Amino acid sequence: MFDRNFLTCVEVKEPMRQKCKLVLSDGSSFQGDLIGAPLRASGELVFTTGMVGYSEAITDPSYFGQILCFTYPLIGNYGIPDLPKGIGLHLPFPRGFESGRANAAAVILTIDSPEVFHWNSFQSLDEWLKNQGVPCIVGLDTRHLVHLIRSQPNLLGRIEPELPEGYRDMGALTPKSNSAFFDPGMNNIVTEVSCKERIVLGKGKTRISLVDCGVKWNIIRQFINYECEVELLPWNTDLSQVDCDLWLLSNGPGDPTRTGDLTAQVEKLLHGDRPILGICLGHQILSLAAGAITRRMPYGHRSHNQPVYEVGTRRGYITSQNHGYVVEDASLPSEWEAWFRNVNDQTIEGIRHKTKPFRSVQFHPEASGGPRDTSWIFEQILAEVKN
Amino acid sequence: MPMLKQLSELGRAPKVLLLGSGGLSIGQAGEFDYSGTQAIKALIEEKIEVIVVNPNIATVQTNPVAGVKVYLYPVEVEWVEKVIQKEKPDAIIAGFGGQTALNCLMGLHDAGILKKYNVLNLGTPAAVLRLTEDRDEFAQKMRSIDMPVPSSFACETYEQALAAANTIGYPVIVRAAFALGGLGSGFANNDEQLKNLVQPALASSPQVLVEKSLKGWKEVEYEVMRDSEGNTITICNMENFDPLGIHTGDSIVVCPSQSLSDDEYQILRNAAITIVNSLGIVGECNVQYALDPTSLSFFIIEVNARLSRSSALASKASGYPIAYIAAKVVLGYDLLELKNPVTGITYSFFEPALDYVTIKMPRWDLLKFQGVNRNLGSTMKSVGEVMAIGRSFPEAIQKATRMVTENPEGLSMLRAPITDDELLEELSAPTDKRLYAVTEAFRRGWSIEKVAELSAIDKWFLYNLFHMIKMEHEIGGFAKNADVSQGGEIFTAKALQKVSGEDWRRWKIQGFGDEQIAAVLLRAANLPSGSNEVRRASLIVRKLRLEFGVKPVIKKIDTTAGEYPSPSNYLYMSYGGLFSDPLPDDQKVFSAIVLGGGSYRIGTSVEFDWCAVSCSKKLQDSGWRSIIVNCNPETVSTDYNSSDRLYFEELSLERILDIADVERPVGVICSMGGQLPNRLAKPLADAGLKLLGHKHDSIDRAEDRSRFSALLDELEIGQPRWTAAKGKADIQKFIDEVGFPVLIRPSYVLSGAAMSVAYDDESLSLCLINANDVSPEHPVVISEFIEGAREIELDGVAKNGEILTAIVSEHIENAGVHSGDATLVVPAQKLYVETVRRVRKAGRAIAQGLNLNGPFNMQFLAKEGDIKVIECNARAARSFPFVSKTVGLNLADVATDVMIGGKPNLARFNEDDLPYVGVKAAMFSFKRLGGADPILGVEMASTGEVGCIGENVDHALLLAMESSGVFRPEKGVLVSSGSEKEKLRFLPAAKILTELGIALFATKGTAKYLQDHGFPVTALDWPGEGPNDVIQAIKDGKVDFVINIPKSSQRGELTRGSLTRQAAVKFGCSLLTNMEIVIAYVQALGRCPEFLTNHQVLSLPPYRS
Ligand SMILES: Nc1ncnc2c1ncn2[C@@H]1O[C@H](COP(=O)(O)OP(=O)(O)O)[C@@H](O)[C@H]1O
Ligand SMILES: Nc1ncnc2c1ncn2[C@@H]1O[C@H](COP(=O)(O)OP(=O)(O)O)[C@@H](O)[C@H]1O
Ligand SMILES: [Mg+2]
Ligand SMILES: [Mg+2]
Repeated sequence: MFDRNFLTCVEVKEPMRQKCKLVLSDGSSFQGDLIGAPLRASGELVFTTGMVGYSEAITDPSYFGQILCFTYPLIGNYGIPDLPKGIGLHLPFPRGFESGRANAAAVILTIDSPEVFHWNSFQSLDEWLKNQGVPCIVGLDTRHLVHLIRSQPNLLGRIEPELPEGYRDMGALTPKSNSAFFDPGMNNIVTEVSCKERIVLGKGKTRISLVDCGVKWNIIRQFINYECEVELLPWNTDLSQVDCDLWLLSNGPGDPTRTGDLTAQVEKLLHGDRPILGICLGHQILSLAAGAITRRMPYGHRSHNQPVYEVGTRRGYITSQNHGYVVEDASLPSEWEAWFRNVNDQTIEGIRHKTKPFRSVQFHPEASGGPRDTSWIFEQILAEVKN
Repeated sequence: MPMLKQLSELGRAPKVLLLGSGGLSIGQAGEFDYSGTQAIKALIEEKIEVIVVNPNIATVQTNPVAGVKVYLYPVEVEWVEKVIQKEKPDAIIAGFGGQTALNCLMGLHDAGILKKYNVLNLGTPAAVLRLTEDRDEFAQKMRSIDMPVPSSFACETYEQALAAANTIGYPVIVRAAFALGGLGSGFANNDEQLKNLVQPALASSPQVLVEKSLKGWKEVEYEVMRDSEGNTITICNMENFDPLGIHTGDSIVVCPSQSLSDDEYQILRNAAITIVNSLGIVGECNVQYALDPTSLSFFIIEVNARLSRSSALASKASGYPIAYIAAKVVLGYDLLELKNPVTGITYSFFEPALDYVTIKMPRWDLLKFQGVNRNLGSTMKSVGEVMAIGRSFPEAIQKATRMVTENPEGLSMLRAPITDDELLEELSAPTDKRLYAVTEAFRRGWSIEKVAELSAIDKWFLYNLFHMIKMEHEIGGFAKNADVSQGGEIFTAKALQKVSGEDWRRWKIQGFGDEQIAAVLLRAANLPSGSNEVRRASLIVRKLRLEFGVKPVIKKIDTTAGEYPSPSNYLYMSYGGLFSDPLPDDQKVFSAIVLGGGSYRIGTSVEFDWCAVSCSKKLQDSGWRSIIVNCNPETVSTDYNSSDRLYFEELSLERILDIADVERPVGVICSMGGQLPNRLAKPLADAGLKLLGHKHDSIDRAEDRSRFSALLDELEIGQPRWTAAKGKADIQKFIDEVGFPVLIRPSYVLSGAAMSVAYDDESLSLCLINANDVSPEHPVVISEFIEGAREIELDGVAKNGEILTAIVSEHIENAGVHSGDATLVVPAQKLYVETVRRVRKAGRAIAQGLNLNGPFNMQFLAKEGDIKVIECNARAARSFPFVSKTVGLNLADVATDVMIGGKPNLARFNEDDLPYVGVKAAMFSFKRLGGADPILGVEMASTGEVGCIGENVDHALLLAMESSGVFRPEKGVLVSSGSEKEKLRFLPAAKILTELGIALFATKGTAKYLQDHGFPVTALDWPGEGPNDVIQAIKDGKVDFVINIPKSSQRGELTRGSLTRQAAVKFGCSLLTNMEIVIAYVQALGRCPEFLTNHQVLSLPPYRS
């Protein structure tokens, strides 16, 4: 644990912050102060209502290409744990993070916390975002932004610091012109967050082949806890060459229909009888492979309080969610059925094959940001795999 | 299927009995009127007939409205059984009436009464309730589901406690079972301290828990809701600013938690859900944790399987109507099928997402009680609370401070000077002034590290306070080289010229109020900074700020952080944003702002909330938009159902002007919320707002002692002689003329009683110590104190100077006991008809003289037929709900009708033809204020009240006494009455007690007197003056009723009498300290010996108009 007792109350100077503008695709613009890296950036403007778990959210690969606006006004209170630069994929993954780097294109807050004191904190949000190369605007009316996002589907935004020193690195997808609005829905962005080559993590009797479209670390942690051997496969691996006890289609960013031939590959798996579990994007890909249709939601579900219930029971669960696409109810083929539904609007939150061991969930049973009510799903799946 | 299915097969409307929490006391206060009222709303919607048992006549839940039958009876097993026999309810709900209702339910269950009358207990089963209340059983259950609890032992005797403490190792905490508000609990570092804790605790609770002390850890709470299907959600969590060791009720509480990471948040959330499911709780409960500030390890402190103070706070902080949903869940509905009434489209199975931070701050009244230990600990001492909502932590904590101190300068308020050593002591052994010690420490340049070490407060909170004090310093800096020669206002304008729009925005988002900025500036330039100078300068601050367009915006509380559109009418204002949420449009033309009462305290409690809620409902019924402004989370008025728009905001000039700028109301109603809004009438009128009801000149003429006195002279109405003494000489001159006893009212009180009576020179000097100084700036009002006078009150409504209706009520105690503590009787029983005629005549003249237009309350003294006026309040009085329910006419409704220009029809109401006699008795919390002398005086001390009705005054009095905790003597009555005169007056009572076969005990002097008059009595010694002393008799339970008449109403000195009185309170004996009430009570006992057995319970008749 990092010992910060050396903090003596030196005259805490008000950090001088440069101005920074948020320009939206509907022409409106707002000005706040800049923290983090003084870089331009662009992406889809999305909001999350989760009140804790900001470092988990910012490192969640599913937010790649999205400007993440936190509705809770006080972010950064308990600082950021230590995350060594360029950390490779080796266990145990440091707690508080869902991947080895910040993936959100940019962050928007009302108030940050320049000084932090939590026993597990290594640095402030501002310092961490600086060395992760992520710009962040502070002091905007985030509740008003939610109002705007709700009234215009797929609002895009640009971050324009007063003195920019370059563009937020988005790998091959980094926009060329400074005036462009990057839309994560228009490209295959799984390429930017998937692992580059196969890697095996953990030891155990059950072998899991995990198709990595931007997997959150906590999904891997769950399987490691249940003594499984997890092999991470790049998103475009030829699945026919791979054998395992369970296929895991991971979460990830972007439009499920823009994932190359992954859907076709999964369709082939449906002819076999190896159990499959899809999570979030993986759920959408499994649905497409089954023949269903997905559509883009006006502004998605991104929160820690989405209620779902298991179809055929009156048992509900509070879930953590982060998705902009949803499976059309009517399009589900007859040999499949809804496993979970959303309590508020009855939309599909999970599907299962009526006879074969294929199932998927739209929410995040691994949570890590958010409630852990549905972590039993991992246990249930592994029990089925064993017998 | 809902339990209702079982009930609906009855072929008639099901009938459900709802237990209330009785009179308010420290630790169990207004929050249970809020939860009970919400439960009633939920039950009525299901076409269920509701039977309420609650003697607290001042509450909204005891309104005799359609669908609700109210029984004003003690929430005790014997009385509730009588109501069950009469009403034959199908089910009983006890989760909404605090600890009183819970203990009563368990009593009914154990006595087999529920089974005998086939009454279904809805909600958490009695066995589970017992388990969560029995500290030892609970600890064992937690260990069985491997949930960590601190090592502890349950003990029934002091010897067991001693052994336990030595096994665990000091320091330990002692906690009583079946109690709340930390009653009987405290910390012990050695055997001696353990003894002083355990013995009194075992007097009021069968079992105490001796437990490892985790003082200094974080204290975190989760509010949990579970339905009968097992669906469980956590409404929100709350983190205490003050660490473990200070009761949650006495801690500043932040919702949601600020310093917990996702891991910490979810681990505690998971544990809460596991615990609630393992216990099988149905409905709402709260789980309390101790969390290690340096790791993920935690312990469970307790589970309250009922609605509580924290669930009322959680409802207001999150917007989730917990009690309303809990009532539906208890009926059998599950959360998946119950709509979320705030959004109207989503369901109640979800967890509110907050996009703001809320802070609750307790309100203490410890200064009023000489001798009370002001240190905060595991026993609750606060009498009320406020809640502030902001979009930054500093904005919320500064707002909360202004709300609780009722001083617009909030954290920058001038306080008594304090030395460094006192500051060190205050930080490590906190009293109710701890927050101001933290800010003072930072002003002296102490580091966050140092303050954190002393106080164990989380450094994140301290950092925010440190940063705020730095900004206060920055504001003061603008006073440098600004021209001070032309007075405060010009200086302020010049000093703030160079302030940019961005500076204004930074200052306001950090929560600095306009008057606070003005005060800081004036003091930086050491210009006069009294409240008038500060207010005038603040209007300059406001003008300059508005020139930059720096205004607060209105935000909604919609439980979903804006994710779903919501027609919510629950609003707050903040500087953390540039855009206001669209307000719900209700097409109403006229609107009025109704100011609530702010935090509950001694003198302002649930009665004024009843007035504000009645006023708001009447406005709505008359087609007006009612806009409530209040900041007390315990109240029904801050339930968004009580008005068309609720601003959960400060009751300050600045914020009410902000609201009025947006709402453009016809006017503001200041006469319903008690003292606080009444004091705002003048500044609001001066700032150009229209007052509905009394003109502010009428209010001023009633409140200003010399103007009111001049009016009485003009009208030739008698008043006690008085003068405003500007020095000691004036006082002596007055006494030479009028003679003792005299009533002393200092105008500037540091600590101790604000009013006191002097009987001789010695007691006069004692009174003047509190007065601190007698000078032209701080004159002392001295008036003749009339002894042995009857006290009479006139509560009513006038329209343009003409009284429409007025009710005469009489105090049982003679004048000298404050009207808020006295026992009130309606209709008056022992007044000459001539006296009533004169009171009504004087009342009409005063109403005319003051041109009253709205609610009023006048207080008179009557002696030998001659009446004198002591005060007139141009506002609703705390007796309004009691008087209204007893006579069957809602005075607050009538007053509201008048204030909006209506003409109430009172044709069918006759003030002299009243169906029943009503008696109101005060509730005291001396049990929690160890060291305070439990006597009655001119200074109010009660924290709550009860009121009961009966065919005659005896029935009503016996019921009211028992409801307020004065139980029929069985074992023995201990009497010690000071003067000869009192001993003589006691004789008839002694005769009755002897005839009733009740053993009499008395101290030396009284015993001899009684023996001389032929009464058998056992003589006892004064404390420590003999083998069988009075305190030992009380401890051993030989005596269960103490009558102790003090020589004077002077609180504080450690006389033998006050030691006896405190022992009676501490060991749970009924105590009476006023001879008039003793005589009335004993006569009632004599006239109705078998009252309990043959009384037929009667319900409160509905309002007539
Ligand atoms: N083991 C402990 N060590 C230190 N303080 C404690 C401990 N247990 C309780 N407390 C303090 O005592 C207060 C009251 O205890 P609690 O069990 O909540 O009683 P109540 O039922 O009156 O609320 C708590 O708020 C906490 O601050
Ligand atoms: N001149 C007096 N003589 C006797 N008792 C008095 C006199 N003035 C006040 N009291 C007693 O003191 C109590 C409080 O005085 P009051 O003027 O009503 O103060 P408050 O403003 O607190 O209501 C009264 O209810 C009455 O019992
Ligand atoms: Mg408690
Ligand atoms: Mg009075």
